[in-house]
Amino acid sequence: MRLDASSLDRLEAHLGRLLVTGVIVSAALLAIGLGLWLANPQNGIALWLLNAGLVVLMATPMMRVVVSFAEYVNMRQWFFAGVTILVLIELSITVLFALSRRR
Amino acid sequence: MASGAVAGCLGALLGLGGGVFLVPFLNAWFGLDFKTAAAISLVTVIATSSAVSAGTTGRNLINLRLGMLLEVASAAGGVAAGITVARISDVTLERGFALVAALIAVLMISRLERRNIIVGSAVDPGPLGGRFHDDESGCEVAYQVRRLPVALGVSFVAGNVSAAFGIGGGILKVPVLTAWCGVPMRVAAATSSLMIGVTAVASVPIQYANGYVNPPLAAAAVLGVLIGSRGGLWFAGRVPAKWLKALMAVVLIMVSIIYLRRSL
Repeated sequence: MRLDASSLDRLEAHLGRLLVTGVIVSAALLAIGLGLWLANPQNGIALWLLNAGLVVLMATPMMRVVVSFAEYVNMRQWFFAGVTILVLIELSITVLFALSRRR
Repeated sequence: MASGAVAGCLGALLGLGGGVFLVPFLNAWFGLDFKTAAAISLVTVIATSSAVSAGTTGRNLINLRLGMLLEVASAAGGVAAGITVARISDVTLERGFALVAALIAVLMISRLERRNIIVGSAVDPGPLGGRFHDDESGCEVAYQVRRLPVALGVSFVAGNVSAAFGIGGGILKVPVLTAWCGVPMRVAAATSSLMIGVTAVASVPIQYANGYVNPPLAAAAVLGVLIGSRGGLWFAGRVPAKWLKALMAVVLIMVSIIYLRRSL
C-alpha cells in the first residue's frame, strides 16, 4: 500500500486545481446572485444564480473524491481506491436521498 | 458576512470549519432557528474546506492517505447520525459536547511543548506518515501516525455530531490527532480542512432539499468565510505550531462554555 511521493504530489496538485476552480466559480455565482438579490429580492435570475452557486459549492468536494478515486485506480492503489469508493457510495446515498426529497 | 469572515479565519488557522462559532452566533444574533443555523453553517464549512485546502496544496501538509481513511469513519458517523441524534436529546448532546471540548482543551494544554516531528531524512514515516518541509526548524521533517483506531474513532464521532451541531468536526479531530496520534499540528489542520468538506457534504444536500438553506444568507456567510480564510492562511504560515496549539486550546475552552450555557 506504499505510494511513491511523486504520484501523490501530482494527485495533490490536481485536487488543488479542482478546488480552486470550484471555489472561484461558486464564489462568483454567489456574489453576483447576492448583488442582484439585494437590488430586487423577487428577481428570478438572482435566485437561480444563488442556487447554482450553492450546488457548485456542494459538488466541489464530491468531485474531489471522484478524482481521487480515478487517480488511485490509475496508480493501482487498490486499498485507497477501495477507501474512496466507500466514501463515494456514502455521498451518493445522500445525494439520491436529497433528490428524492426535492420532488 | 462579518461573522463568516471570523469563522473562516479561525477555520483556516486551525483546520476547523468555523461552524462551532457560526451556529451559536446565527442562532442568538439573527434569531435563526437551530436547524437553519446549522444548515447554513455546514454550507460555509464546505466553502472553508475547499478554499483552505486549495491554498495549502503543494506543501505536503495535507496527508491524503490518512484523510481518505478517516473520511470513511466520519462518513459512517454521518450515516449513523440519523439514529443517534433521534435517540439523544439536544440538551444531552450539548452538555456532552461541552464536556468533550473541555477535556480535549486540557489534553491540548498538557501536550503543548511536545512536537511530533522527527528531524532527519533517514526516518521511515511508515505507510500513513509523511514528510514535509518545516519552516520553523528550516529542514525536512518526518512524522509517523500512531493509534490509528483512536483517529478513526474520533472521526466517527465528529461525523456523527456534524449534522446535529452544524460543524465540520475539526474541533474534535485536530486536537486528538495532534495530542495522541503523532500528527504534527500543521498536518492535522491541513488534513482536517480537506476532510470537513466531505463530512459536511454528507448531510448538506438533504438539508438543502428540505429548504433549511436560505440562499441569500448562505451566500453572504460563504463570501465572508472565503475572505476570512485568506487571512487565516496568511497567518497560519507565520506563527509557530505551539501558538496554534495554544489558540486551539483557548478556542476549545470558549466552545465548551458556549455550549454549556446553551444547555442550561
